[in-house]
Amino acid sequence: MLAKSVIEDVLTAALATGGDFSEVFLEDRYTNNLTLQGGKIENSLSGRDFGIGIRVFKGLQSVYTYTTDGSKEGLLKAARNAAHAISGETIIHPAPLKKEIVTCAHPITINPRETEKTRKVNVMKKAYEIAKNYHSSIHQVLVRYLDEEQNVLIANSEGKFIEDKRVRSRLAIQSIASDGKQMQPGFYGPGAHKGFEFFENLNLEHYANEASRIAVTMLGADPCPSGKFPVIIDNEFGGVIFHEACGHGLEATSVAKNNSVFANRIGEKVASDVVTYIDDGTIANEWGSITIDDEGEKARKNVLIENGILKGYLIDKFNGRRMGMESTGSGRRQSYRFAPTSRMTNTYIAEGKSSPEEIISNTEHGIYTKYMGGGSVNPATGDYNFAVMEAYLVKDGKIGKPLKGATLVGNGAETLQLVDMVGNNLGHGAGMCGSLSGSIPVNVGQPMIRVSEMTVGGSKEGE
Amino acid sequence: MNIQEFQQKLFGLGEKHGFTDMELYFEREEKFKCGLFKGEVDSYETSEIAGGSFRGLYNGKMGYAFTEKLDEDSVSYLVENAKENAQLIEEEIQEEIFGGSEKYQEGSFYSAELAKVTVPEKIELLKEIEKHIYAFDERVTGTNYFILESAESERFIINNKGLSLDERQNYIGMYISVVVKQGDETKTGAYVKATKDFSAFVPREIAKYAVEEALSKLNAQTADSKHYPVLLRNDAAGDLFRTFSEIFSAENAQKGRSKLKGMEGELIAAPALQLVDDPFLKDGLLSRSFDSEGVATMKKAIVKDGKLVTLLHNRKTAGTAGVESTGNAYKGSYKGSLTVSPTNLYVKPSNKSIEELTASVDEGILITDLAGLHSGADTVSGDFSLAANGYFVKDGKVQNTVKQMTIAGNFFDLLKNIEAIGSDLEFLMSNVGSPSLLIKELAVTVE
Repeated sequence: MLAKSVIEDVLTAALATGGDFSEVFLEDRYTNNLTLQGGKIENSLSGRDFGIGIRVFKGLQSVYTYTTDGSKEGLLKAARNAAHAISGETIIHPAPLKKEIVTCAHPITINPRETEKTRKVNVMKKAYEIAKNYHSSIHQVLVRYLDEEQNVLIANSEGKFIEDKRVRSRLAIQSIASDGKQMQPGFYGPGAHKGFEFFENLNLEHYANEASRIAVTMLGADPCPSGKFPVIIDNEFGGVIFHEACGHGLEATSVAKNNSVFANRIGEKVASDVVTYIDDGTIANEWGSITIDDEGEKARKNVLIENGILKGYLIDKFNGRRMGMESTGSGRRQSYRFAPTSRMTNTYIAEGKSSPEEIISNTEHGIYTKYMGGGSVNPATGDYNFAVMEAYLVKDGKIGKPLKGATLVGNGAETLQLVDMVGNNLGHGAGMCGSLSGSIPVNVGQPMIRVSEMTVGGSKEGE
Repeated sequence: MNIQEFQQKLFGLGEKHGFTDMELYFEREEKFKCGLFKGEVDSYETSEIAGGSFRGLYNGKMGYAFTEKLDEDSVSYLVENAKENAQLIEEEIQEEIFGGSEKYQEGSFYSAELAKVTVPEKIELLKEIEKHIYAFDERVTGTNYFILESAESERFIINNKGLSLDERQNYIGMYISVVVKQGDETKTGAYVKATKDFSAFVPREIAKYAVEEALSKLNAQTADSKHYPVLLRNDAAGDLFRTFSEIFSAENAQKGRSKLKGMEGELIAAPALQLVDDPFLKDGLLSRSFDSEGVATMKKAIVKDGKLVTLLHNRKTAGTAGVESTGNAYKGSYKGSLTVSPTNLYVKPSNKSIEELTASVDEGILITDLAGLHSGADTVSGDFSLAANGYFVKDGKVQNTVKQMTIAGNFFDLLKNIEAIGSDLEFLMSNVGSPSLLIKELAVTVE
């Protein structure tokens, strides 16, 4: 994608003013985005992202510059701009580049860029038909299709020179049920680090029906009561709660500057005994999987919390310097427009011993959340909030009436201590995660878990 | 390849492939961004980017494609993909390429003064602010965001119907979040602002604002969960209006995604509410004299005395509704397709200070920030349930800070339940702003 000699010149120019590390990240990405509304294709957008990011470190100083100008002159100018932020004499020269050949850990069989768009439309229409025909109260169905092929080249002054191709595909189905007075949405968005073969093997019936079932169920739901309850959170996307409540706090981005409640606590008990929390970028073809991270480090499986004890963090190269720790293969970025930082890949709570039936039958009075919506966290305080997409009342060990409008709020560090049951039905769900280095694909996951007490913010109690 | 050469090759190839009307929307941007941590510049970023979006009519349907690489490969990539995309479109009403408005109002979107501010001056400003932050109180332990950014950008629209427009703008912005600790309690306080006036940043005042905000959140106490009168401070009110601003889009209305469909002329809010869309606002982040399809923009009332005056239109939605475009066609960047957005949308302030608003509350909650807006608010139904921080108000006075809360209600009801409007209009780093608003009641749950 770029001649070796040009890269070497750029890495050298970036170190001219005393930097001790320089890096080039080149990206050439092709995307397709299609939207189907009311059974008709409303939008079809194709694009090519192209740009180069250059990074220079000097001790704990980091400089980043990016450009869409891929000419040698453009790149040298960008490298000089970056070097300009540092002042001093040249202290090191880049090591000779040594090309590393990586085998993609997530093989692709059908390249979406070479797949006719009408085949993609067919998948969308099939999903639409299933979702629309689920029930007469389904008023609208929106189907989005996304595929991308991201080609990257990463080279640095330590001699690293590596290329990677990442192909991802996703389908998002949103059903809206209406009874004439109110509308309720239901959503399912499966995705994978796969090509078009993903759609050929996808259980469309299941996902499209679920999106509509959620909407229809919530249409007949009562407003959720407010207060403190034991809360049972089901598997797959339910894991978003720990992604927010705990995952972000374990990223070096907040740990390195002591801004996280988990900083300087390796070896300490930070969660109840039943909690083991893992980030694993190596799971074959999962949405959040990577072969190498965006700093060229191989993906790995990182155990973050084991039986309640804090074992490690997610670390990128730069924050690793401040912490005196090695990268954990967690340096990720949305695109060349972002300097990489520590991020999650596929993060999940490991399986426990309880069956889902046991967890429910052991709960006298509480809330069961089947599907979670999105949420956010303040990593400094650990305070988080989530919308619940589908919830039920649990009474005398049985799942009761559906509830709408529930929000869960709390503090990550406290919630971790209150997990008292972990199920044996681990599942993963696809999502997009936004942070300092942009929006990236991640999986969240968990088996069913129970938190002994959580604050539930209901919608309209007493009205 | 330069932009003119690229455009000529593009339109040439497009014509060969059977495109009738064609347009190139092009943007370039230069940006600087820098962060400080304990006296050291710990992040420093510069960028120069450019990219273009091609759209063209093929057999009466509009096809889109974009690129960030101006080379021969991209010329054929754009034409071939836009053609394939056009053939998939099934929607009957189509966009058109626009030949231009009769007149474009002059605006000042670019500050030559601001462009002269040097990088060392910007870094010096951050260092000054940081000194004040740490000196202000010993409970300050750090900052989790401390960033300044400035940008200059230029937009071009060139089409084969004779339109050729070009506009430049710049701004500088800052976002700071200060962390304070006391015992087991950790709290943050933020300062956010975008402007074209570098001298608007006064180090001592910024530090005081952010640190006092964080400190005032310490010693949080509980309160009863029930319905309270709620005073939304300007930043929280602005966040809420930003989240729900899409209900004013005619595109959403026509697609059944806004309850305001067909409500023009009707009372949708308290009679005191005036909502304005102003593309010529001095520090406005979306100030512009032409919209993303080349239509001249204009200042206008969206809600006047509580009545909906108009929804926001681009040419396509205006055509469907049988009205004129309001100049609100919008592309997030050259990567997006054409949609509808407010320019700078705000609630018109009154002459009442936030203290006067507070004084009228016997027992209530003052909300200073909201979280979870991207997930806890449904713009279709108007229902929201959001994490919130703020204070207890008793007998017209602000008391202690309250533990994390959720506030819940419905935005359409809230519009009607606005009891008083403050004088303190702020935009922070957004194109939507509001003064503080006193709401009759909302459901408040305290953790």
